[in-house]
Amino acid sequence: MKCIHLFIAIVFLASCQTMPVINPPMFPAVQKNLTCPSPFLKEKYQLIHAIEINTAGNAQGAIIGITVADPSTRFVSCAIMTAEGMVLLEAETDAEKLSVHRALPPFDSGDFAKNMIDDIKLIYFPPQGLMQKKGNLPDGSTACRWQEENGDFIDVIASKPESTEIKKYSAGGSLKRHIKLTQTEENAYSSIELRGSEIINYTLLMTLIEAQPVKSALPGKEKLKVKNNEKSYRR
Amino acid sequence: MRTDRTLHRYFCILVCSLLILSLSIAALADSFEQLRKDSANIKTIKARFVQKKFMKILAKPLISEGRFYYIAPDAFRWEYLKPLRSVVIAYKGDTRRYIFSGGKMIEDKSGGAQAMKIVLGEVTGWMSGKFDQNPSFTATLKEGTNTQITLIPVGKSMSGMIEKIEITVSKKAAAVKSVKIIENANAFTQIDFTDVETNKVISSAVFQDVQ
Repeated sequence: MKCIHLFIAIVFLASCQTMPVINPPMFPAVQKNLTCPSPFLKEKYQLIHAIEINTAGNAQGAIIGITVADPSTRFVSCAIMTAEGMVLLEAETDAEKLSVHRALPPFDSGDFAKNMIDDIKLIYFPPQGLMQKKGNLPDGSTACRWQEENGDFIDVIASKPESTEIKKYSAGGSLKRHIKLTQTEENAYSSIELRGSEIINYTLLMTLIEAQPVKSALPGKEKLKVKNNEKSYRR
Repeated sequence: MRTDRTLHRYFCILVCSLLILSLSIAALADSFEQLRKDSANIKTIKARFVQKKFMKILAKPLISEGRFYYIAPDAFRWEYLKPLRSVVIAYKGDTRRYIFSGGKMIEDKSGGAQAMKIVLGEVTGWMSGKFDQNPSFTATLKEGTNTQITLIPVGKSMSGMIEKIEITVSKKAAAVKSVKIIENANAFTQIDFTDVETNKVISSAVFQDVQ
């Protein structure tokens, strides 16, 4: 019984990880020249990842994730499907409107599509909020902090030369998302680890299958002729 | 989650069945009755396949590769090797699905037993060449340069999953040209076969070892 209490306490403490202090450089000139890490997309891209899903430390399965993202308009079109090609969810959003074209249970529940697209934006697009701090973490990593309109904080941290971390905290300072991007020479999104802290904590391990810039109009921006399970939400 | 996985399994088995069906009809037939007779001669099938997934969101199709094995009447292994490893194995009345995750193959343990029974009933019918006797689909056979069989779901069981299935058989080569699974106006899956071997010995271990 003590072990269970200890386990719950550890899980609780882990989920309540708070924002670290970002120390500004000692010299103003250094701060002025400090560049925030920016692992984000610079142009329209289509990315396909194999995604392993873990909850409570157990592997739950794997799916294929397809994303088309345009940083200039913050438009996202995305789909998830099984290895066999069954499309489980297809959705798109621009700055205002979220449209779910297909959602099979349980992906049709609640705000699943909205939360998924929020995660995608967190990975691929720079924060939109006001910059709060710029400097170094106690371990020496370069870090920049933004505060979003809804009060959430986003830290972007250059932890290693080939690795960048993105952390999202609630307005109260508890960690909600922790993303680790491991890049190769070919692509900044070769490997993505996303840890989500919700009622049930989960981890997504994303391995890049292919990536390519989208030169033409975004496929998802065309009007889709979808007959089933179409829903539309105004954000 | 259960509903999703049931649908998922349903879809997996349906596609598996189509692979078997399409290779079985390579014997070429100009009527459903002939189809049933030809299918009865297929005892085993071994093949490789390339699957192309077309979606509006994709600038080019997503290509998957795999292999599959079949021993009449109802044992099959349908396996994707890339980009994401997964296996569906049906053997001695038991159907299981495995997916590569966490460095190993793990079993998808969910799924509605009742739905599985229904699906397997349909599979058995297809494998016997009884395309026109399945109440869940209407089947039409069209003659031309190629023979085309079209299956259209009748009930709501596949509503939102599959709109139509088209199987094209080359008369000249007496082999399947393509299987096209149309999900909706924006998405379809095409499967092409290579290295097809029929009526050769396949070890039962193929249906027992996941790796």
